[in-house]
Amino acid sequence: MPHDWLLLGPLQWFSYVHKQVKVKLGRDEEHRGWLVTVDPVSASLVLVNFTERGASVRVVMGHAVEEVEVLREADPETTELLCTYFLPLETPKLDP
Amino acid sequence: SIPSSAVPGGNTELLQEEQQARSALRESFLRCLLSISNKKVQFHMHENVKVEATFGASDIDVLNFQVSNLHTPIGVQKEALIRCQDVISFTFDV
Repeated sequence: MPHDWLLLGPLQWFSYVHKQVKVKLGRDEEHRGWLVTVDPVSASLVLVNFTERGASVRVVMGHAVEEVEVLREADPETTELLCTYFLPLETPKLDP
Repeated sequence: SIPSSAVPGGNTELLQEEQQARSALRESFLRCLLSISNKKVQFHMHENVKVEATFGASDIDVLNFQVSNLHTPIGVQKEALIRCQDVISFTFDV
């Protein structure tokens, strides 16, 4: 029995990007973080939390999600950080 | 499997918008996976089981993860495939 999250679709998932969200999983498990992206194939969420040491990233598998709640919108500073964190500085050469 | 579109048939403009969103989301996700290649990752499985491994790759449908040096209660597995269905979440530090 798939939860609603899996059925939202790309346009709705996209609306959560760069927002701070609270993700409810089964058994009272909850995770918070800034949403980097949602994989449209597996509905998995990529959440990031910024710490003094850098950033801690958690990927929550789509099949485990019960509910996603928006806590707040991203401010320009956070959005800037979120956009640059995963962009590789140099595109790796994939040709051997 | 998860439907690739949530837009009712016939609305081409909305469908285009949806496809743009879909490709942006997927590209972002793939870049994220690329960034954790060969990095230490902690997998949170069912029953509160946590295992550490070096992330290798995911298959295209995000059904299996290929990892190395998987630390299990019975020893270190040099190479392993983890079923995504068994994973609740996984974490890593940037």
